[in-house]
Amino acid sequence: MSLLQEEREIIVNNEYVDNFDFAEVKEFVTNASKDLFISHHFKHKAKNKMLVQPRGGFPTYDKQFALSEYFVKANVDVLPLTVDSNTRLNDYATAKKMLRLSEENDVDMLNGYPLVNHGYRTTRKMITHFNKPVSLRHGTPDARLLIETAIASGIFEIEGGPITYLLPYSKNFPLDKAFLYWKYVERVCANYSKLNEPINRESFGPLTATLVPPSITIVIQLLEMLLSLEEGVKSFSVSFAQQGSMNQDIVTGAVLKKLAKHYAAEINCSDAAINLVYHQWMGAFPMNKDSAEQLINIATVIAAMVGADKIITKTREEASGIPTKEANAKTVANTQYTLGILNGLPNVVDEEEEEILTLEVHAIMEAVFNDSADTLWRKVFNSIKNGIIDVPFSPHIINHNNMITIRDAQKNIRIIKRGNVPIPDRCYAYEKGQCDLTKDTTSIVNDIIHDIGIMQ
Amino acid sequence: MKVVTGVVGNDIHVVANRLIDLSLQARGYEVFNLGVNTYLEEFFDAVIETGADILLISSLNGEAEGWGREVPRLKAKYKKLDDIIMMIGGNLVVGTGNAEDIIPRYKGYGFDIVCHQVDLNTGLDSLEEMLKERNLK
Repeated sequence: MSLLQEEREIIVNNEYVDNFDFAEVKEFVTNASKDLFISHHFKHKAKNKMLVQPRGGFPTYDKQFALSEYFVKANVDVLPLTVDSNTRLNDYATAKKMLRLSEENDVDMLNGYPLVNHGYRTTRKMITHFNKPVSLRHGTPDARLLIETAIASGIFEIEGGPITYLLPYSKNFPLDKAFLYWKYVERVCANYSKLNEPINRESFGPLTATLVPPSITIVIQLLEMLLSLEEGVKSFSVSFAQQGSMNQDIVTGAVLKKLAKHYAAEINCSDAAINLVYHQWMGAFPMNKDSAEQLINIATVIAAMVGADKIITKTREEASGIPTKEANAKTVANTQYTLGILNGLPNVVDEEEEEILTLEVHAIMEAVFNDSADTLWRKVFNSIKNGIIDVPFSPHIINHNNMITIRDAQKNIRIIKRGNVPIPDRCYAYEKGQCDLTKDTTSIVNDIIHDIGIMQ
Repeated sequence: MKVVTGVVGNDIHVVANRLIDLSLQARGYEVFNLGVNTYLEEFFDAVIETGADILLISSLNGEAEGWGREVPRLKAKYKKLDDIIMMIGGNLVVGTGNAEDIIPRYKGYGFDIVCHQVDLNTGLDSLEEMLKERNLK
Protein backbone atom coordinates (compact mmCIF):
# COMPACT_ATOMS: atom_id res chain seq x y z
CA MET A 1 0.00 0.00 0.00
CA SER A 2 1.34 3.47 -0.90
CA LEU A 3 2.06 6.01 1.82
CA LEU A 4 -0.75 8.18 0.53
CA GLN A 5 -3.23 5.30 0.70
CA GLU A 6 -2.10 4.52 4.26
CA GLU A 7 -2.71 8.15 5.21
CA ARG A 8 -6.14 8.03 3.55
CA GLU A 9 -7.13 4.95 5.57
CA ILE A 10 -6.18 6.81 8.76
CA ILE A 11 -8.03 9.98 7.75
CA VAL A 12 -11.35 8.26 6.99
CA ASN A 13 -11.10 6.09 10.09
CA ASN A 14 -12.83 8.72 12.18
CA GLU A 15 -15.63 8.27 14.73
CA TYR A 16 -17.80 10.72 12.76
CA VAL A 17 -17.44 8.77 9.51
CA ASP A 18 -19.65 5.79 8.76
CA ASN A 19 -17.56 3.02 7.11
CA PHE A 20 -15.74 4.65 4.17
CA ASP A 21 -15.66 2.26 1.19
CA PHE A 22 -12.81 3.33 -1.16
CA ALA A 23 -13.58 0.64 -3.76
CA GLU A 24 -17.22 1.68 -4.03
CA VAL A 25 -16.26 5.39 -4.29
CA LYS A 26 -13.81 4.61 -7.09
CA GLU A 27 -16.54 2.80 -9.00
CA PHE A 28 -18.95 5.69 -8.42
CA VAL A 29 -16.51 8.32 -9.74
CA THR A 30 -15.59 6.14 -12.75
CA ASN A 31 -19.23 5.83 -13.80
CA ALA A 32 -20.47 9.26 -12.67
CA SER A 33 -22.47 11.42 -15.08
CA LYS A 34 -20.30 13.87 -17.07
CA ASP A 35 -22.78 16.59 -16.11
CA LEU A 36 -21.48 16.50 -12.53
CA PHE A 37 -18.00 17.59 -13.66
CA ILE A 38 -17.53 21.33 -14.03
CA SER A 39 -14.34 20.57 -16.00
CA HIS A 40 -16.60 18.94 -18.61
CA HIS A 41 -18.82 22.06 -18.76
CA PHE A 42 -15.78 24.34 -19.10
CA LYS A 43 -14.63 22.25 -22.06
CA HIS A 44 -17.98 22.09 -23.85
CA LYS A 45 -19.83 25.28 -22.91
CA ALA A 46 -21.12 27.47 -25.70
CA LYS A 47 -18.54 30.07 -26.64
CA ASN A 48 -18.43 32.98 -24.19
CA LYS A 49 -21.23 31.63 -21.99
CA MET A 50 -20.09 32.35 -18.50
CA LEU A 51 -21.16 29.78 -15.89
CA VAL A 52 -23.15 31.28 -13.01
CA GLN A 53 -22.61 30.01 -9.50
CA PRO A 54 -24.10 31.37 -6.27
CA ARG A 55 -22.92 30.70 -2.70
CA GLY A 56 -25.00 28.89 -0.11
CA GLY A 57 -25.17 26.29 2.60
CA PHE A 58 -27.77 25.31 5.22
CA PRO A 59 -27.34 22.84 8.09
CA THR A 60 -30.06 20.29 7.30
CA TYR A 61 -30.37 18.04 4.27
CA ASP A 62 -33.91 19.24 3.61
CA LYS A 63 -33.00 22.93 3.59
CA GLN A 64 -29.94 22.35 1.40
CA PHE A 65 -32.12 20.35 -0.98
CA ALA A 66 -34.73 23.15 -1.06
CA LEU A 67 -32.01 25.76 -1.73
CA SER A 68 -30.64 23.71 -4.63
CA GLU A 69 -34.17 23.33 -6.01
CA TYR A 70 -34.60 27.13 -5.99
CA PHE A 71 -31.27 27.57 -7.75
CA VAL A 72 -32.19 25.06 -10.46
CA LYS A 73 -35.47 26.90 -11.07
CA ALA A 74 -33.48 30.13 -11.43
CA ASN A 75 -31.39 28.49 -14.19
CA VAL A 76 -28.19 27.99 -12.22
CA ASP A 77 -25.13 26.51 -13.97
CA VAL A 78 -23.12 25.41 -10.94
CA LEU A 79 -24.55 24.59 -7.50
CA PRO A 80 -22.67 25.61 -4.36
CA LEU A 81 -22.19 23.64 -1.19
CA THR A 82 -20.87 25.90 1.55
CA VAL A 83 -19.60 24.14 4.65
CA ASP A 84 -20.20 25.37 8.23
CA SER A 85 -17.44 26.95 10.34
CA ASN A 86 -17.12 24.06 12.85
CA THR A 87 -16.36 21.61 10.05
CA ARG A 88 -13.82 24.10 8.67
CA LEU A 89 -11.97 23.81 12.00
CA ASN A 90 -12.36 19.98 12.05
CA ASP A 91 -14.69 20.22 15.06
CA TYR A 92 -17.12 17.50 13.96
CA ALA A 93 -18.46 16.99 17.52
CA THR A 94 -19.86 20.52 17.71
CA ALA A 95 -21.13 20.30 14.13
CA LYS A 96 -22.99 17.10 15.03
CA LYS A 97 -24.62 18.67 18.08
CA MET A 98 -25.62 21.82 16.18
CA LEU A 99 -26.99 19.76 13.29
CA ARG A 100 -29.22 17.85 15.70
CA LEU A 101 -30.46 21.09 17.26
CA SER A 102 -31.16 22.49 13.78
CA GLU A 103 -33.12 19.38 12.80
CA GLU A 104 -35.16 19.25 16.01
CA ASN A 105 -36.00 22.94 16.33
CA ASP A 106 -36.19 24.11 12.75
CA VAL A 107 -33.72 26.92 13.59
CA ASP A 108 -30.38 27.11 11.77
CA MET A 109 -27.60 26.58 14.30
CA LEU A 110 -24.84 26.30 11.68
CA ASN A 111 -23.71 28.72 8.96
CA GLY A 112 -23.32 25.95 6.37
CA TYR A 113 -23.77 22.26 5.52
CA PRO A 114 -21.82 19.93 7.85
CA LEU A 115 -20.72 17.61 5.06
CA VAL A 116 -18.68 15.16 7.14
CA ASN A 117 -21.53 14.58 9.59
CA HIS A 118 -24.11 14.08 6.83
CA GLY A 119 -21.69 11.66 5.14
CA TYR A 120 -21.24 10.80 1.48
CA ARG A 121 -24.01 8.22 1.15
CA THR A 122 -26.68 10.77 2.12
CA THR A 123 -25.19 13.75 0.30
CA ARG A 124 -24.65 11.80 -2.92
CA LYS A 125 -28.42 11.30 -3.20
CA MET A 126 -28.90 15.07 -3.41
CA ILE A 127 -26.01 15.68 -5.82
CA THR A 128 -27.03 12.94 -8.27
CA HIS A 129 -30.69 13.99 -8.03
CA PHE A 130 -29.95 17.48 -9.41
CA ASN A 131 -27.23 16.23 -11.80
CA LYS A 132 -25.51 19.66 -11.87
CA PRO A 133 -21.86 20.34 -11.10
CA VAL A 134 -21.34 21.25 -7.44
CA SER A 135 -18.58 23.46 -6.06
CA LEU A 136 -17.31 22.94 -2.51
CA ARG A 137 -16.84 26.23 -0.64
CA HIS A 138 -15.22 26.02 2.76
CA GLY A 139 -12.10 27.75 4.21
CA THR A 140 -10.44 24.74 5.83
CA PRO A 141 -6.66 24.55 6.44
CA ASP A 142 -6.86 20.76 7.00
CA ALA A 143 -9.45 19.65 4.45
CA ARG A 144 -8.32 16.04 4.02
CA LEU A 145 -11.41 14.29 5.38
CA LEU A 146 -13.71 16.95 3.94
CA ILE A 147 -12.36 16.43 0.41
CA GLU A 148 -12.58 12.64 0.62
CA THR A 149 -16.22 13.02 1.65
CA ALA A 150 -16.93 15.63 -1.02
CA ILE A 151 -15.60 13.61 -3.95
CA ALA A 152 -17.34 10.48 -2.68
CA SER A 153 -20.56 12.53 -2.68
CA GLY A 154 -20.15 13.61 -6.31
CA ILE A 155 -18.74 17.09 -5.66
CA PHE A 156 -16.11 17.46 -8.38
CA GLU A 157 -14.94 21.02 -7.83
CA ILE A 158 -12.87 21.86 -4.75
CA GLU A 159 -12.15 25.46 -3.81
CA GLY A 160 -9.26 26.63 -1.66
CA GLY A 161 -5.55 26.30 -1.16
CA PRO A 162 -2.86 26.49 1.51
CA ILE A 163 -2.36 30.26 1.16
CA THR A 164 -5.78 31.54 0.15
CA TYR A 165 -7.65 29.58 2.82
CA LEU A 166 -5.22 30.50 5.57
CA LEU A 167 -3.93 34.07 5.34
CA PRO A 168 -7.38 35.70 5.23
CA TYR A 169 -8.99 33.48 7.89
CA SER A 170 -6.56 32.52 10.64
CA LYS A 171 -4.26 34.21 13.15
CA ASN A 172 -1.95 31.35 14.00
CA PHE A 173 -2.70 28.04 12.23
CA PRO A 174 0.80 26.87 11.13
CA LEU A 175 1.29 27.66 7.46
CA ASP A 176 3.74 24.80 6.85
CA LYS A 177 1.13 22.29 8.03
CA ALA A 178 -1.44 23.84 5.70
CA PHE A 179 0.90 23.26 2.72
CA LEU A 180 1.26 19.57 3.59
CA TYR A 181 -2.47 19.04 4.18
CA TRP A 182 -3.23 20.65 0.83
CA LYS A 183 -0.61 18.49 -0.88
CA TYR A 184 -2.76 15.51 0.17
CA VAL A 185 -5.84 17.21 -1.32
CA GLU A 186 -4.07 17.84 -4.64
CA ARG A 187 -2.91 14.22 -4.86
CA VAL A 188 -6.35 12.81 -4.11
CA CYS A 189 -7.90 15.14 -6.72
CA ALA A 190 -5.21 14.17 -9.25
CA ASN A 191 -5.77 10.45 -8.71
CA TYR A 192 -9.55 10.67 -9.09
CA SER A 193 -9.04 12.78 -12.22
CA LYS A 194 -7.68 9.70 -14.03
CA LEU A 195 -10.98 7.81 -13.70
CA ASN A 196 -13.41 10.05 -15.58
CA GLU A 197 -13.39 13.79 -16.33
CA PRO A 198 -10.85 15.77 -14.21
CA ILE A 199 -11.71 17.09 -10.76
CA ASN A 200 -11.43 20.89 -10.94
CA ARG A 201 -9.45 22.76 -8.29
CA GLU A 202 -10.14 26.45 -7.76
CA SER A 203 -8.04 28.97 -5.87
CA PHE A 204 -9.64 31.71 -3.75
CA GLY A 205 -8.41 34.96 -5.30
CA PRO A 206 -10.33 37.51 -3.21
CA LEU A 207 -8.02 36.91 -0.19
CA THR A 208 -8.92 39.56 2.41
CA ALA A 209 -11.02 41.52 -0.15
CA THR A 210 -9.52 44.69 1.31
CA LEU A 211 -7.24 46.74 -0.96
CA VAL A 212 -5.18 43.74 -2.10
CA PRO A 213 -3.15 44.92 -5.13
CA PRO A 214 -3.48 42.81 -8.32
CA SER A 215 0.22 41.84 -8.30
CA ILE A 216 -0.17 40.04 -4.95
CA THR A 217 -3.44 38.41 -6.02
CA ILE A 218 -1.92 37.12 -9.27
CA VAL A 219 1.28 35.82 -7.65
CA ILE A 220 -0.72 33.82 -5.11
CA GLN A 221 -3.05 32.49 -7.84
CA LEU A 222 -0.08 31.35 -9.92
CA LEU A 223 1.69 29.71 -6.98
CA GLU A 224 -1.38 27.77 -5.85
CA MET A 225 -1.92 26.72 -9.46
CA LEU A 226 1.67 25.45 -9.73
CA LEU A 227 1.45 23.59 -6.40
CA SER A 228 -1.69 21.89 -7.72
CA LEU A 229 -0.46 21.09 -11.24
CA GLU A 230 2.83 19.66 -9.99
CA GLU A 231 0.82 17.03 -8.08
CA GLY A 232 -1.03 16.06 -11.27
CA VAL A 233 -4.24 18.13 -11.21
CA LYS A 234 -5.48 18.61 -14.81
CA SER A 235 -8.14 21.32 -14.43
CA PHE A 236 -7.57 24.46 -12.39
CA SER A 237 -9.39 27.78 -11.95
CA VAL A 238 -7.55 30.95 -11.04
CA SER A 239 -9.78 33.67 -9.63
CA PHE A 240 -10.01 37.23 -8.40
CA ALA A 241 -12.69 39.58 -7.12
CA GLN A 242 -14.02 42.90 -8.38
CA GLN A 243 -11.47 45.50 -7.29
CA GLY A 244 -13.27 48.81 -7.73
CA SER A 245 -11.93 49.97 -11.11
CA MET A 246 -13.19 48.38 -14.33
CA ASN A 247 -9.92 49.05 -16.12
CA GLN A 248 -7.86 47.45 -13.37
CA ASP A 249 -10.13 44.38 -13.45
CA ILE A 250 -9.71 44.02 -17.21
CA VAL A 251 -5.93 44.40 -16.92
CA THR A 252 -5.80 41.92 -14.03
CA GLY A 253 -7.83 39.34 -15.95
CA ALA A 254 -5.64 39.67 -19.04
CA VAL A 255 -2.34 39.38 -17.14
CA LEU A 256 -3.60 36.52 -14.96
CA LYS A 257 -4.73 34.49 -18.00
CA LYS A 258 -1.50 35.15 -19.91
CA LEU A 259 0.83 34.35 -17.00
CA ALA A 260 -1.13 31.27 -15.86
CA LYS A 261 -0.50 29.73 -19.30
CA HIS A 262 3.14 30.86 -19.22
CA TYR A 263 3.98 29.38 -15.81
CA ALA A 264 2.00 26.16 -16.45
CA ALA A 265 4.12 25.66 -19.58
CA GLU A 266 7.30 26.29 -17.58
CA ILE A 267 6.63 23.13 -15.55
CA ASN A 268 5.46 21.16 -18.63
CA CYS A 269 1.79 21.22 -17.63
CA SER A 270 0.33 22.88 -20.72
CA ASP A 271 -2.08 19.95 -21.05
CA ALA A 272 -3.97 21.15 -17.94
CA ALA A 273 -7.07 23.30 -18.54
CA ILE A 274 -6.84 26.73 -16.86
CA ASN A 275 -10.08 28.64 -16.24
CA LEU A 276 -10.76 32.16 -15.01
CA VAL A 277 -13.28 32.87 -12.24
CA TYR A 278 -14.58 36.30 -11.25
CA HIS A 279 -16.13 37.10 -7.86
CA GLN A 280 -18.72 39.84 -7.60
CA TRP A 281 -17.64 42.54 -5.06
CA MET A 282 -16.34 40.80 -1.91
CA GLY A 283 -15.78 43.88 0.27
CA ALA A 284 -18.18 45.74 2.52
CA PHE A 285 -21.65 45.88 0.89
CA PRO A 286 -24.28 48.64 0.98
CA MET A 287 -27.10 48.14 3.53
CA ASN A 288 -29.57 49.44 0.94
CA LYS A 289 -30.73 46.31 -0.89
CA ASP A 290 -31.54 48.09 -4.13
CA SER A 291 -28.03 49.57 -4.23
CA ALA A 292 -26.66 46.10 -3.52
CA GLU A 293 -28.50 44.84 -6.61
CA GLN A 294 -26.97 47.58 -8.77
CA LEU A 295 -23.51 46.70 -7.47
CA ILE A 296 -24.11 43.04 -8.32
CA ASN A 297 -25.29 43.95 -11.79
CA ILE A 298 -22.23 46.10 -12.50
CA ALA A 299 -20.01 43.22 -11.35
CA THR A 300 -21.67 40.99 -13.94
CA VAL A 301 -20.92 43.49 -16.69
CA ILE A 302 -17.26 43.70 -15.62
CA ALA A 303 -17.00 39.89 -15.49
CA ALA A 304 -18.14 39.85 -19.11
CA MET A 305 -15.53 42.49 -20.05
CA VAL A 306 -12.89 40.42 -18.24
CA GLY A 307 -13.95 37.31 -20.16
CA ALA A 308 -14.44 35.11 -17.11
CA ASP A 309 -15.41 31.44 -17.52
CA LYS A 310 -17.44 31.50 -14.29
CA ILE A 311 -18.93 34.18 -12.07
CA ILE A 312 -19.64 33.74 -8.35
CA THR A 313 -22.57 35.80 -7.16
CA LYS A 314 -23.52 37.80 -4.07
CA THR A 315 -27.04 38.72 -2.94
CA ARG A 316 -28.96 41.88 -2.11
CA GLU A 317 -28.94 40.70 1.52
CA GLU A 318 -25.14 40.57 1.78
CA ALA A 319 -24.88 43.36 4.36
CA SER A 320 -27.49 41.86 6.67
CA GLY A 321 -26.42 38.24 7.13
CA ILE A 322 -26.90 34.80 5.58
CA PRO A 323 -29.24 35.29 2.58
CA THR A 324 -32.60 33.58 2.19
CA LYS A 325 -32.96 31.05 -0.62
CA GLU A 326 -35.34 33.42 -2.40
CA ALA A 327 -32.83 36.31 -2.45
CA ASN A 328 -30.05 33.96 -3.47
CA ALA A 329 -32.02 32.49 -6.38
CA LYS A 330 -33.06 35.99 -7.47
CA THR A 331 -29.41 36.96 -7.97
CA VAL A 332 -28.87 33.89 -10.15
CA ALA A 333 -31.85 34.75 -12.35
CA ASN A 334 -30.80 38.43 -12.57
CA THR A 335 -27.22 37.55 -13.44
CA GLN A 336 -28.33 35.14 -16.18
CA TYR A 337 -30.60 37.86 -17.59
CA THR A 338 -27.81 40.45 -17.61
CA LEU A 339 -25.43 38.01 -19.30
CA GLY A 340 -28.08 37.23 -21.91
CA ILE A 341 -28.52 40.86 -22.96
CA LEU A 342 -24.83 41.85 -22.85
CA ASN A 343 -23.87 41.87 -26.49
CA GLY A 344 -21.24 43.59 -28.60
CA LEU A 345 -18.80 44.23 -25.80
CA PRO A 346 -15.82 46.38 -26.76
CA ASN A 347 -12.34 44.94 -26.53
CA VAL A 348 -10.41 47.07 -24.06
CA VAL A 349 -6.63 46.73 -23.80
CA ASP A 350 -4.40 48.95 -21.66
CA GLU A 351 -0.88 48.06 -22.73
CA GLU A 352 0.95 50.29 -20.26
CA GLU A 353 -0.93 48.95 -17.23
CA GLU A 354 -0.49 45.38 -18.46
CA GLU A 355 3.22 45.87 -18.85
CA ILE A 356 3.64 47.32 -15.34
CA LEU A 357 1.60 44.54 -13.75
CA THR A 358 3.40 41.81 -15.71
CA LEU A 359 6.79 43.16 -14.61
CA GLU A 360 5.68 43.21 -10.97
CA VAL A 361 4.39 39.63 -11.07
CA HIS A 362 7.52 38.33 -12.80
CA ALA A 363 9.75 40.06 -10.24
CA ILE A 364 7.90 38.57 -7.25
CA MET A 365 7.74 35.09 -8.87
CA GLU A 366 11.47 35.22 -9.59
CA ALA A 367 12.21 36.13 -5.96
CA VAL A 368 10.11 33.15 -4.81
CA PHE A 369 11.86 30.74 -7.22
CA ASN A 370 15.26 32.07 -6.12
CA ASP A 371 14.66 31.04 -2.52
CA SER A 372 17.22 28.39 -1.59
CA ALA A 373 14.68 25.78 -0.37
CA ASP A 374 14.43 22.46 -2.24
CA THR A 375 10.71 22.27 -3.02
CA LEU A 376 8.20 24.81 -4.29
CA TRP A 377 6.00 24.74 -1.20
CA ARG A 378 9.01 25.49 1.02
CA LYS A 379 10.07 28.35 -1.28
CA VAL A 380 6.57 29.81 -1.02
CA PHE A 381 6.50 29.28 2.73
CA ASN A 382 9.82 31.10 3.13
CA SER A 383 8.69 33.92 0.84
CA ILE A 384 5.62 34.59 2.95
CA LYS A 385 7.76 34.41 6.09
CA ASN A 386 10.26 36.89 4.57
CA GLY A 387 7.57 39.29 3.40
CA ILE A 388 8.33 38.78 -0.31
CA ILE A 389 4.62 38.01 -0.42
CA ASP A 390 2.64 40.38 1.81
CA VAL A 391 -1.18 40.39 1.90
CA PRO A 392 -2.77 43.66 3.08
CA PHE A 393 -5.11 43.16 6.03
CA SER A 394 -4.26 39.51 6.70
CA PRO A 395 -4.81 38.64 10.38
CA HIS A 396 -2.14 35.90 10.30
CA ILE A 397 0.96 36.36 12.48
CA ILE A 398 3.27 35.17 9.67
CA ASN A 399 2.15 37.97 7.33
CA HIS A 400 4.38 41.06 7.35
CA ASN A 401 1.70 43.75 6.99
CA ASN A 402 4.29 46.17 5.68
CA MET A 403 2.73 46.78 2.30
CA ILE A 404 0.37 49.77 2.17
CA THR A 405 -2.10 50.35 -0.65
CA ILE A 406 -4.51 53.12 -1.53
CA ARG A 407 -6.85 54.02 -4.41
CA ASP A 408 -5.96 56.57 -7.09
CA ALA A 409 -8.50 58.95 -8.68
CA GLN A 410 -9.81 56.17 -10.97
CA LYS A 411 -10.16 53.86 -7.93
CA ASN A 412 -7.29 51.62 -9.05
CA ILE A 413 -5.52 49.98 -6.10
CA ARG A 414 -1.95 51.32 -5.91
CA ILE A 415 1.05 50.33 -3.80
CA ILE A 416 2.42 53.31 -1.87
CA LYS A 417 4.64 51.29 0.50
CA ARG A 418 6.10 48.05 -0.84
CA GLY A 419 7.59 46.65 2.38
CA ASN A 420 9.73 43.65 1.51
CA VAL A 421 7.86 42.84 -1.70
CA PRO A 422 10.30 43.13 -4.65
CA ILE A 423 8.22 45.55 -6.74
CA PRO A 424 10.69 46.82 -9.39
CA ASP A 425 11.69 50.49 -8.91
CA ARG A 426 10.17 51.61 -12.21
CA CYS A 427 6.79 50.03 -11.35
CA TYR A 428 6.91 51.36 -7.79
CA ALA A 429 7.51 54.89 -9.09
CA TYR A 430 4.61 54.46 -11.54
CA GLU A 431 2.22 53.24 -8.82
CA LYS A 432 3.11 56.08 -6.45
CA GLY A 433 2.97 58.55 -9.32
CA GLN A 434 -0.78 57.90 -9.71
CA CYS A 435 -1.52 58.98 -6.14
CA ASP A 436 -1.51 62.25 -4.23
CA LEU A 437 1.11 61.58 -1.58
CA THR A 438 1.67 65.18 -0.56
CA LYS A 439 -0.94 64.80 2.18
CA ASP A 440 0.01 64.16 5.80
CA THR A 441 -0.19 60.57 7.06
CA THR A 442 -3.42 61.07 9.03
CA SER A 443 -5.23 62.20 5.86
CA ILE A 444 -3.85 59.18 4.01
CA VAL A 445 -5.22 56.88 6.72
CA ASN A 446 -8.59 58.61 6.31
CA ASP A 447 -8.35 57.98 2.56
CA ILE A 448 -7.66 54.29 3.20
CA ILE A 449 -10.77 54.07 5.41
CA HIS A 450 -12.76 55.70 2.63
CA ASP A 451 -11.19 53.44 -0.02
CA ILE A 452 -12.21 50.28 1.84
CA GLY A 453 -15.85 51.35 2.02
CA ILE A 454 -16.25 52.78 -1.50
CA MET A 455 -19.26 50.63 -2.39
CA GLN A 456 -21.26 51.39 0.77
CA MET B 1 5.21 57.32 23.72
CA LYS B 2 4.54 53.57 23.56
CA VAL B 3 1.13 51.99 22.90
CA VAL B 4 0.08 48.35 23.12
CA THR B 5 -3.01 47.58 21.01
CA GLY B 6 -5.03 44.63 19.77
CA VAL B 7 -8.52 43.13 19.40
CA VAL B 8 -9.78 41.34 22.52
CA GLY B 9 -11.19 37.81 22.65
CA ASN B 10 -12.13 35.51 19.76
CA ASP B 11 -12.56 38.39 17.36
CA ILE B 12 -10.89 38.12 13.93
CA HIS B 13 -11.95 41.59 12.63
CA VAL B 14 -8.61 42.80 11.40
CA VAL B 15 -9.32 45.86 9.24
CA ALA B 16 -9.89 48.39 12.03
CA ASN B 17 -6.97 46.94 13.96
CA ARG B 18 -4.61 47.69 11.07
CA LEU B 19 -6.07 51.18 10.71
CA ILE B 20 -5.58 51.92 14.42
CA ASP B 21 -1.97 50.77 14.05
CA LEU B 22 -1.39 53.06 11.04
CA SER B 23 -3.15 56.03 12.67
CA LEU B 24 -1.18 55.74 15.89
CA GLN B 25 2.06 55.58 13.91
CA ALA B 26 0.97 58.62 11.91
CA ARG B 27 0.53 60.49 15.19
CA GLY B 28 4.05 59.57 16.26
CA TYR B 29 3.42 56.76 18.73
CA GLU B 30 5.56 53.66 18.96
CA VAL B 31 3.04 50.85 18.38
CA PHE B 32 3.09 47.25 19.62
CA ASN B 33 0.19 45.62 17.80
CA LEU B 34 -0.85 42.20 19.14
CA GLY B 35 -3.40 41.81 16.32
CA VAL B 36 -6.74 40.00 16.47
CA ASN B 37 -7.86 37.22 18.87
CA THR B 38 -5.90 38.54 21.85
CA TYR B 39 -6.56 37.49 25.44
CA LEU B 40 -6.55 39.99 28.28
CA GLU B 41 -3.47 38.46 29.92
CA GLU B 42 -1.51 38.94 26.70
CA PHE B 43 -2.29 42.67 26.74
CA PHE B 44 -1.02 43.16 30.29
CA ASP B 45 2.03 40.98 29.69
CA ALA B 46 2.88 43.09 26.63
CA VAL B 47 2.51 46.35 28.59
CA ILE B 48 5.00 45.08 31.18
CA GLU B 49 7.35 43.72 28.52
CA THR B 50 7.43 46.89 26.41
CA GLY B 51 7.08 49.43 29.23
CA ALA B 52 4.12 50.95 27.39
CA ASP B 53 2.37 54.10 28.57
CA ILE B 54 -0.95 53.37 26.93
CA LEU B 55 -3.08 50.24 26.46
CA LEU B 56 -5.65 50.55 23.67
CA ILE B 57 -8.02 47.59 23.41
CA SER B 58 -10.55 47.29 20.61
CA SER B 59 -13.55 45.05 19.97
CA LEU B 60 -15.90 44.71 17.03
CA ASN B 61 -18.08 41.71 17.77
CA GLY B 62 -18.99 43.15 21.18
CA GLU B 63 -17.47 40.45 23.34
CA ALA B 64 -15.36 43.12 25.12
CA GLU B 65 -18.26 43.33 27.57
CA GLY B 66 -17.44 39.84 28.86
CA TRP B 67 -13.71 40.55 29.03
CA GLY B 68 -14.08 44.07 30.46
CA ARG B 69 -15.43 42.87 33.77
CA GLU B 70 -12.26 40.78 34.26
CA VAL B 71 -9.99 43.84 33.99
CA PRO B 72 -9.96 45.09 37.63
CA ARG B 73 -9.23 41.62 39.07
CA LEU B 74 -6.50 40.88 36.53
CA LYS B 75 -4.90 44.32 36.62
CA ALA B 76 -4.61 44.09 40.42
CA LYS B 77 -2.41 41.02 40.01
CA TYR B 78 0.19 43.04 38.10
CA LYS B 79 2.27 45.61 39.90
CA LYS B 80 3.47 48.81 38.12
CA LEU B 81 0.31 49.13 36.02
CA ASP B 82 -1.23 52.00 38.02
CA ASP B 83 0.08 54.76 35.78
CA ILE B 84 -0.89 53.42 32.36
CA ILE B 85 -3.68 55.03 30.40
CA MET B 86 -6.33 52.46 29.55
CA MET B 87 -8.47 53.05 26.53
CA ILE B 88 -11.13 50.86 24.87
CA GLY B 89 -13.01 51.43 21.64
CA GLY B 90 -15.09 49.90 18.89
CA ASN B 91 -18.47 48.28 19.21
CA LEU B 92 -18.67 47.58 22.92
CA VAL B 93 -21.90 45.59 23.28
CA VAL B 94 -23.46 42.59 21.55
CA GLY B 95 -26.60 43.88 19.85
CA THR B 96 -27.48 47.51 20.55
CA GLY B 97 -26.97 49.76 23.55
CA ASN B 98 -26.57 53.46 24.21
CA ALA B 99 -23.41 55.30 25.14
CA GLU B 100 -24.89 56.77 28.39
CA ASP B 101 -25.11 53.27 29.86
CA ILE B 102 -21.98 51.86 28.30
CA ILE B 103 -19.40 54.55 29.16
CA PRO B 104 -19.91 54.52 32.98
CA ARG B 105 -19.88 50.73 32.97
CA TYR B 106 -16.50 50.52 31.25
CA LYS B 107 -15.09 53.36 33.41
CA GLY B 108 -16.07 51.14 36.33
CA TYR B 109 -13.90 48.39 34.83
CA GLY B 110 -10.94 50.79 34.99
CA PHE B 111 -10.85 52.34 31.52
CA ASP B 112 -9.89 56.03 31.34
CA ILE B 113 -11.25 56.58 27.83
CA VAL B 114 -14.26 54.71 26.42
CA CYS B 115 -15.21 55.10 22.76
CA HIS B 116 -18.39 53.27 21.76
CA GLN B 117 -18.96 53.53 18.00
CA VAL B 118 -16.83 56.67 17.83
CA ASP B 119 -14.88 57.71 14.71
CA LEU B 120 -11.21 56.66 14.92
CA ASN B 121 -9.71 60.16 14.76
CA THR B 122 -12.15 61.56 17.33
CA GLY B 123 -11.14 58.74 19.65
CA LEU B 124 -7.43 59.37 19.18
CA ASP B 125 -7.97 63.12 19.68
CA SER B 126 -9.46 62.39 23.09
CA LEU B 127 -6.36 60.38 23.92
CA GLU B 128 -4.17 63.39 23.08
CA GLU B 129 -6.33 65.60 25.28
CA MET B 130 -5.90 63.25 28.21
CA LEU B 131 -2.14 63.17 27.68
CA LYS B 132 -2.11 66.98 27.79
CA GLU B 133 -4.25 67.06 30.93
CA ARG B 134 -1.85 64.74 32.64
CA ASN B 135 1.11 66.80 31.41
CA LEU B 136 2.50 63.84 29.52
CA LYS B 137 2.66 65.67 26.23
